[in-house]
Amino acid sequence: MESNLKNDQMPTKKVIETKKLSRIFKNGAIEVKALTDVDIVIEQGEFVAIMGASGSGKSTLLHIIGCLDRATSGEYNLDGVQVNALDKNQLADVRNQKIGFIFQSYNLLSRTTALENVELPLIYDRTGQFSNSKEIARKALEQVGLADRIYHKTNELSGGQQQRVAIARALVNNPALILADEPTGNLDSKASIDIADLFVQLNNEGKTIVMITHEPEIAQFAKRMIYLRDGQIISDKLIENRSTKEFALKELEKPVTP
Amino acid sequence: MRRFYKIFKVAFHSINKNRTRSLLTMLGIIIGVGAVIMTISAGEGATLQVQNQISGLGTNLLMIQTKSEHKAGINVRMGRPIDKKDFDMLQKNSVWMPQLSPLVAIGAQAIGPNGYKSTTVYGVSYDYFYITSKEIALGNFFTKEDVKTAKKFCVIGETIRQELFPGQDPIGRQIRLDKVPFTVVGLLTEEGTGGMGQDMDDIVIAPYTTIQNRLYGHQRGYNLIMASALSENHIADAEIEATELLRESHKIKDGDDDDFEITTQIELQEITGNITGILTILLGAVASISLIVGGIGIMNIMLVSVTERTREIGTRLAIGARESDILTQFLIEAIVLSLVGGILGVIFGIIGNQIIYKATGFYIPTAVYSILIGFGFSALVGVAFGYFPARKAAKLNPIDALRYE
Repeated sequence: MESNLKNDQMPTKKVIETKKLSRIFKNGAIEVKALTDVDIVIEQGEFVAIMGASGSGKSTLLHIIGCLDRATSGEYNLDGVQVNALDKNQLADVRNQKIGFIFQSYNLLSRTTALENVELPLIYDRTGQFSNSKEIARKALEQVGLADRIYHKTNELSGGQQQRVAIARALVNNPALILADEPTGNLDSKASIDIADLFVQLNNEGKTIVMITHEPEIAQFAKRMIYLRDGQIISDKLIENRSTKEFALKELEKPVTP
Repeated sequence: MRRFYKIFKVAFHSINKNRTRSLLTMLGIIIGVGAVIMTISAGEGATLQVQNQISGLGTNLLMIQTKSEHKAGINVRMGRPIDKKDFDMLQKNSVWMPQLSPLVAIGAQAIGPNGYKSTTVYGVSYDYFYITSKEIALGNFFTKEDVKTAKKFCVIGETIRQELFPGQDPIGRQIRLDKVPFTVVGLLTEEGTGGMGQDMDDIVIAPYTTIQNRLYGHQRGYNLIMASALSENHIADAEIEATELLRESHKIKDGDDDDFEITTQIELQEITGNITGILTILLGAVASISLIVGGIGIMNIMLVSVTERTREIGTRLAIGARESDILTQFLIEAIVLSLVGGILGVIFGIIGNQIIYKATGFYIPTAVYSILIGFGFSALVGVAFGYFPARKAAKLNPIDALRYE
């Protein structure tokens, strides 16, 4: 393994492996290279933050990793599945079984209870492995600390709580990979730190997390940071001094120094 | 199957979330289905009423009359009139027509002690009462003997009694028909209004012999001969028999046209059945248009709903819904809307029929097939008009849908 990870636990499994991944958008005669020859390997149990300016290609990368979009060229292997070869329905099933999505604006169903929202991915399950979806959804909500809010409707919850519901929804089908697209983008600093801390907890429980973010303080919670610019990886390194909830909260209280 | 049930629940949930909108959308279907049921049932009711009146005309009835043709708008008799010779011949030879009666009809003034009335006087034989299923309310019919001896007896309808003997028992009393005095021997049971709106009780019945001798100016022919076939199954036999007997007696050569016409009850029923059937189809078709309009309403709302819920669709696709799942969800939503609308429409239609019955006394039996048509049509409308928006939803690009503001 040429990965630059410390590998002190059990032998790890590649959750994501891309080879020379490129994505070109054609708009008439104009070609826009959103991604160029991206090679990434992410192993089980990692917590990766992907950063980069607008237009750096990080959203495109996330869409391809999340099987919502296809690469123009290159290979993508997700949890042992060669994604390039899959048709639309198989892609949908991969999204359902292997990926948990978390969005910036939560994307919960309005006027619907937290429990029903969390159950949603199980509706589309075709493997039949989730016989008691209510119970599973309840457990996922407990996992994100919302045991007392399961019958609240989404409009009765705060932003941070809504994002927790969304995280529970991403967890409920026990995916190989959790993909978060600017999960703290709509939250205040305090709630953002709570969510980042929740990611750390889930990661500690073994979840593989890939998170796109603009905010360096949030990225600092991850184990590894990939920096994109103009569709290429310009830096990929482990984070030395990972942030913690206590540290981040303390930082918040510091006066802003000019 | 479980998944289908869950998607069904999802569809139901979103209908329930927008209750007012859903109800308004359904209104088109409710009115459409209700209108289809009410119009078809009204057509059926009209058919039933006319059929009843035709069967009320008599028992296994045949009417034999001189052939007539429309010439310059006037009915002109073409052949020799049907007369006593024909009647006697038929009575002697017929196997399938056990009851036969001549009928001579004249307009006359009926004058009683307390009033008078212009009416139609039917001169008939005793069999007429059986053939036309007349019933007596007071007194008796005149007898065969009365006919043979041309007694000046008559049986009157309720309308005549009211005009001539208001509030009195007419039996045994004298009336005059034009200038000839008659004794009232019976009062007919009230029949009400006929199929063409005529008053069935505005009638005086007397022996045809008397009418011919006293009122008819010694004219030779009859207006028609009425006959009753042995049974319903023998009406056709009776018609053939009468045709053959009359052709023979009228010495009509093979290949020449009949100089008489025979109309049977079955033919009358077929003719009116055709007319009311066409009417029913026409009304139903008009009502169906409102169903189609209702369907367009559903399509409209579903399209709005798809646009409004673009983000939701994107989310569903992202968490693993297949295109077919989204298609199914929106299709079910449209179908549920139109089916619930259909059920409410059926109820609305049945209640509407009852209201019309209560208000006008026109009995409308809610035809079972009209419910099936209305209901099936509404399901069809749901599929047909729900498919386009559902497809639009399913074909959304998940990335664009997720970004949609």
